[in-house]
Amino acid sequence: MIEVQSLHKRFGEVVAVDEVSFTAADGVVTGLLGPNGAGKTTTLRMLSTLIEPDRGAALVDGLVVAQHPMEARRRIGVLPDARGLYPRLTAREHVRYAGELHGIPGRLLRPRIDELIELLDMRSIADRRADGFSHGERVKVALARALVHEPRNVLLDEPTNGLDVMSTRAVRALVRRLREQGRCVLFSSHVMQEVSALCDRIVIIARGRVLAQGTPEEIRAGAGKENLEEAFVSVIGSDQGLVG
Amino acid sequence: MIGPVLRKELVDHLRDRRSIFSSLLMPLLGPLTMLAMFGLIASWVREDRPLIVPVAGGQNAPSLIAFLQRHGAIVETAPADYEAQVRDGKLDLAIGVPEDYGKEFEAGRSAPVQLIEDSSRNKSRPQVVRARRLLELYSRRTSALRMIARGVSPTLVAPLELTDVDLATPEKTAANVLSMIPLFLLMAVFVGGLHLAIDCTAGERERGSLEALLVNPVSRGSLVAGKWLAVAAATVVAVLVALAGFWLALGRIPLQDLGIKFHLGREEMAGILLACAPLALFAAALQMTLAFFARTFKEAQTYLSMLMLVPLLPATFLSLQPIKSQLWMMLVPVLGQTLLMTDVLRGEPAPLLWFALAAGAALVFSGALVAWAARLLKSEKIVFGRGAGG
Repeated sequence: MIEVQSLHKRFGEVVAVDEVSFTAADGVVTGLLGPNGAGKTTTLRMLSTLIEPDRGAALVDGLVVAQHPMEARRRIGVLPDARGLYPRLTAREHVRYAGELHGIPGRLLRPRIDELIELLDMRSIADRRADGFSHGERVKVALARALVHEPRNVLLDEPTNGLDVMSTRAVRALVRRLREQGRCVLFSSHVMQEVSALCDRIVIIARGRVLAQGTPEEIRAGAGKENLEEAFVSVIGSDQGLVG
Repeated sequence: MIGPVLRKELVDHLRDRRSIFSSLLMPLLGPLTMLAMFGLIASWVREDRPLIVPVAGGQNAPSLIAFLQRHGAIVETAPADYEAQVRDGKLDLAIGVPEDYGKEFEAGRSAPVQLIEDSSRNKSRPQVVRARRLLELYSRRTSALRMIARGVSPTLVAPLELTDVDLATPEKTAANVLSMIPLFLLMAVFVGGLHLAIDCTAGERERGSLEALLVNPVSRGSLVAGKWLAVAAATVVAVLVALAGFWLALGRIPLQDLGIKFHLGREEMAGILLACAPLALFAAALQMTLAFFARTFKEAQTYLSMLMLVPLLPATFLSLQPIKSQLWMMLVPVLGQTLLMTDVLRGEPAPLLWFALAAGAALVFSGALVAWAARLLKSEKIVFGRGAGG
């Protein structure tokens, strides 16, 4: 479970995240929807212990991450904004490295890696170096790396961004599977269709502030609009590239 | 958790051909330079090789020929195309004596003699100089005899008696070249891990893999320590390569013949390694910490190339102006090691305590740098580069 309480972060003069609060429950897919530069990535980075908030708290399974960074890192799996692969390591080696850093012993790690390679349909690239990987292949490797320690909480930063249809379907299937396993999935996107296709709950964020949150139904009702798209536009005050 | 990081960085490094290339070839630069320079010195020393003087028209000047032979020159009859052969470098020089030489000489006038040379050929120069000296000597002797015959003291026309006292013997030059060994070893220390140090810091951030690395439940200290040991290992390998190169190169040079008391044996190699290994740890820590501050891989390369010059300063200074090692100098990384290496190569190794002190100082500085680098990884400015946001 992920809780964010009155989170605030400023970079110089720019307020990136301003009093953001929301909760993402276990067994639920929560979507963080907002235009580029809304503060989604900064929020996720504060949750993943990479940035310290100026005020407020980010909690993972009830632990304040700024105070218990190691324990928090054990409980989360992160797909960062930059997928960040090592060009000279193979897909399998990426997953193994992450597993080793999580302290998973070799005899458990090997079958786990094979399982992830099956799950993400990576057999053909498993032992190839990441150098020539396509965008979709890179995302798959980064996802496998994020999930190697079977985290209770999964943070995905724009997981389907720039993916082709097949890869998008694979990622969506994976997210649904994570939900079925009872994990807490928080994912950010600037594409409304992605969020509406997957999310049980939506947090709309723009210019560092939460503008609305709830189930798609609640958001539509709250905005008094016929469909979700119009509700988004009405909540944010413009369509700022959310649609498309 | 240091193990997996160390292993990953080493595997990554070994697969990086460019990095391996620079960290293994650059250290060989020193031994190769040394081979080339000693080849040059040896050719100077080879002045004892006989001076062969091809003479055209030797029958015109029998007394000159006899003089040359008396002074050790081997006089040969020049081939017909001697000018072409000198031009082509087949002959170092030739002497041409025109037919009217005898007539002018008898009459007491300046007799013409040609010294045929190609001044653009460095290889021939020593031989040409020797031949010229002999000719000048003959000229002086003859003029002295003529003046004495006329009752004039030869010293009258030689107000100065100039004698060359050249202290730069080939031995001394060779010793100077040998004093460059510590310099090249230091270069190996600062080049060996350079690429890896950048790749696992500024490079890791530029690729975007730093973020994914930092979300793992591993302390920043362990991450930096693993990377640090990998860079230090690459550095030690580079030092070993340089040492092996020097060992092979010096094995091919007849140092004894040059009158040099110098030996690069097992003990000297061990002494140098003992001095360099702690320095490798220091250099690795310094390079990594500095590279974290760079915005990009390229910028880090610029920083670290400049960094390379700093430790070379004391070594260069010492190779020109040797100073006596003092205990406090051991506490200054790079300076201490330079002095230790110089003393080892001079055959007067410092006491083991000094080695321990130098190693201890280098380790303390390294530890501080590693701790600093670990703290840097907590700063969002360092992790995401300047101007983090999103």
